[in-house]
Amino acid sequence: MYAIETRDLVKEFNGLRAVDSLSFTVERGEIFGLLGPNGAGKTTTIRMLLDIFKPDAGEIKVLGGTVDTHTKSRIGYLPEERGLYPRLRVVQCLTYLARLKGIGRREAKSRAEALLERVGLAEWRRKRVKELSKGMQQKVQFVATIVHDPDLLILDEPFQGLDPINVDLLKEMIRELHQTGKTIIFSTHIMGQVEQMCDRILLINEGQAVLYGLLAEIKSRYAQHAVLLRSDDSLEGLEGVLRIEKQGTDHLVFLRADTSPQDILRQLVARKATITRFEVATPSLEEIFITAVKEGAR
Amino acid sequence: MGMNMKKIWTVAGHEFITTITRPGVIFSTLLPPALGLIALVVAGFFGGQAGQFFEGLGSQFVPQDNQVGYVDYTGTFTPPLPQYAGEFIPYAEEQAARAALIAGDIPGYLVIPTDYMATGQVIGYTKGRGISGAMAVDSDEVEAFLVAHLLAGQVDPALQERVTNPAKVSIVTLSEGAEAGQSDVWAILSSFVLPIVFTMMLSITIFVSAGFLLQGVGEEKERRVIEILISSLTPTELLAGKILGLGAVGLTQILVWFGTGWALMGGVAVVFAVAGVLPFGVGTLILALIYFLLGYLLFATLMAAVGSLGTTAREGQQLAGFFSMAAFVPMWFMGFIMTNPNSLLARILSYFPLTAPTMVLLRLGMGEVPAVDIAISLVVLIAAIVFCLWGGAKIFRMGLLTYGKRPSIKEIWRALRQA
Repeated sequence: MYAIETRDLVKEFNGLRAVDSLSFTVERGEIFGLLGPNGAGKTTTIRMLLDIFKPDAGEIKVLGGTVDTHTKSRIGYLPEERGLYPRLRVVQCLTYLARLKGIGRREAKSRAEALLERVGLAEWRRKRVKELSKGMQQKVQFVATIVHDPDLLILDEPFQGLDPINVDLLKEMIRELHQTGKTIIFSTHIMGQVEQMCDRILLINEGQAVLYGLLAEIKSRYAQHAVLLRSDDSLEGLEGVLRIEKQGTDHLVFLRADTSPQDILRQLVARKATITRFEVATPSLEEIFITAVKEGAR
Repeated sequence: MGMNMKKIWTVAGHEFITTITRPGVIFSTLLPPALGLIALVVAGFFGGQAGQFFEGLGSQFVPQDNQVGYVDYTGTFTPPLPQYAGEFIPYAEEQAARAALIAGDIPGYLVIPTDYMATGQVIGYTKGRGISGAMAVDSDEVEAFLVAHLLAGQVDPALQERVTNPAKVSIVTLSEGAEAGQSDVWAILSSFVLPIVFTMMLSITIFVSAGFLLQGVGEEKERRVIEILISSLTPTELLAGKILGLGAVGLTQILVWFGTGWALMGGVAVVFAVAGVLPFGVGTLILALIYFLLGYLLFATLMAAVGSLGTTAREGQQLAGFFSMAAFVPMWFMGFIMTNPNSLLARILSYFPLTAPTMVLLRLGMGEVPAVDIAISLVVLIAAIVFCLWGGAKIFRMGLLTYGKRPSIKEIWRALRQA
């Protein structure tokens, strides 16, 4: 059974198609990346999944059915536009939001306190939300997303505005949640951020699907026939090389179709060259995205 | 998709607690009882004379040694009868009276001309523009003095007394079987002013509570909490919870006012025992509360819907201001309606949903309202509430997530038609 299933989703705003016949599924227990540049239709798609917007056309199934108030209780949503009650105390705010997800008062409070401890904000739990720094509020917001132990997490730009240490903390917590079987949807325009975490991705542009499937498969589909090399020695005269591009301290060596990376490595070893880096070049998601959009335009 | 009552109660409880603990709300709840207490302490200080104090307010301005001079050209009034001898001092000629006035011996004097019997014309002289002088020469005492001398020896004393003082009016207010007769200021206060003050407080509470709803929605929108809320429960559940919670705040406020009012009245019985009568009969009171609740429901829904369309809390409040203005129309015609509580204007305003709650509340404060008017206005009001709840929830849902720009009429219309 799928965690999310959509078919031919359409949403228009003032005649502009924000989402255009989008169909995709998210399997239970996977980390799914919903990627695309700003304004691609990611947030609109998420809002339709959560029944915040009604789609103009198409079908949505979340956790096996239509989204009602009970389904909503099983979803944790971190919106891109962050928001908490500035006047409330941190624990009070978290308890209220958890109770709106159907958790009892006492349990909501104890979960909120445990999670605040986990993100290092235990001492701040009696402070008013507005007294917290922006980074702290971001962490409180993340706690609000998971405080009711949801089966499905939808995180819209989760690392936005966080320092590297807190990004690591959140990534670690997300991995833990994944290990306990939660389904996680990442939505971001910074594609490199989720490359190491996602199993499958949906890449959208102008409301339409550009790439969809297993991340590893997509990567190999767009793999260039090239190796990334770092060496102080001269690379001239290598057999089977089309051209060499310098990329910072590295060299991107494009190979002829009949040459394998192994052939290059063998030649380098034979030359007794000092090599500090040697790997098969795979393009970044961003590069794949740009290529795919260009291909689509053609 | 059924409503989740647990979530509605969670919202209601949250709204109730966070609103009622606001300093502004605590202040406005406790202010009227505090003022009432102060008023009672002051009144209690004067003791039982409070009533007389108001009644005799006029004569307070007249100096205690209120001697009045007079020059009598008719001969009917000189010499003065023994009972008036000290108060009314005859002067043989105007010159002497004028001198006494200027010297400050008397606050004023009367000149009774020869043709007085034909014209009734008397001229009163006073010094400067002092009100005490004017009151001295044109008082009940002066009239009594003239009557006493005109009738002296011609009629029996009882008739003379009646001519001087033809009526001592006792006002008896008939209300719902209970009857009490008092002639003092407190009775008038309790049968007329208090109900109006009370109904106005009810009307104001409607808008204060609905205003909190509006403000809350605006803030949640501005602070972007709304998206989290809507991803947890349906807009209708959120709206229902807010209406319940803030309605409870308004009701609490009224109960506090009413309870303390009751206690204060009972506690200082010295003053209010004089009044004796409760401002309302029980039936009227229940009806007033029903109108309060319906009025609140209507305006809360309207304001939530309209308020959600604004992009900031302030803008939402401006948009909703229109409805409060409509509701206060009856207050503009207050003077007219007070004298004609069952006039055509008052009745029409009772049938129009936006003015019905405040109009009927006002009329209830002024006396009996015909059952037909109550029935029609209740039907219209309930129909309007059903419509507003239906449409309001839809507009609320659409308005909540439109940031940056206000939705157009076309978009609102589309939202209303969406199933």
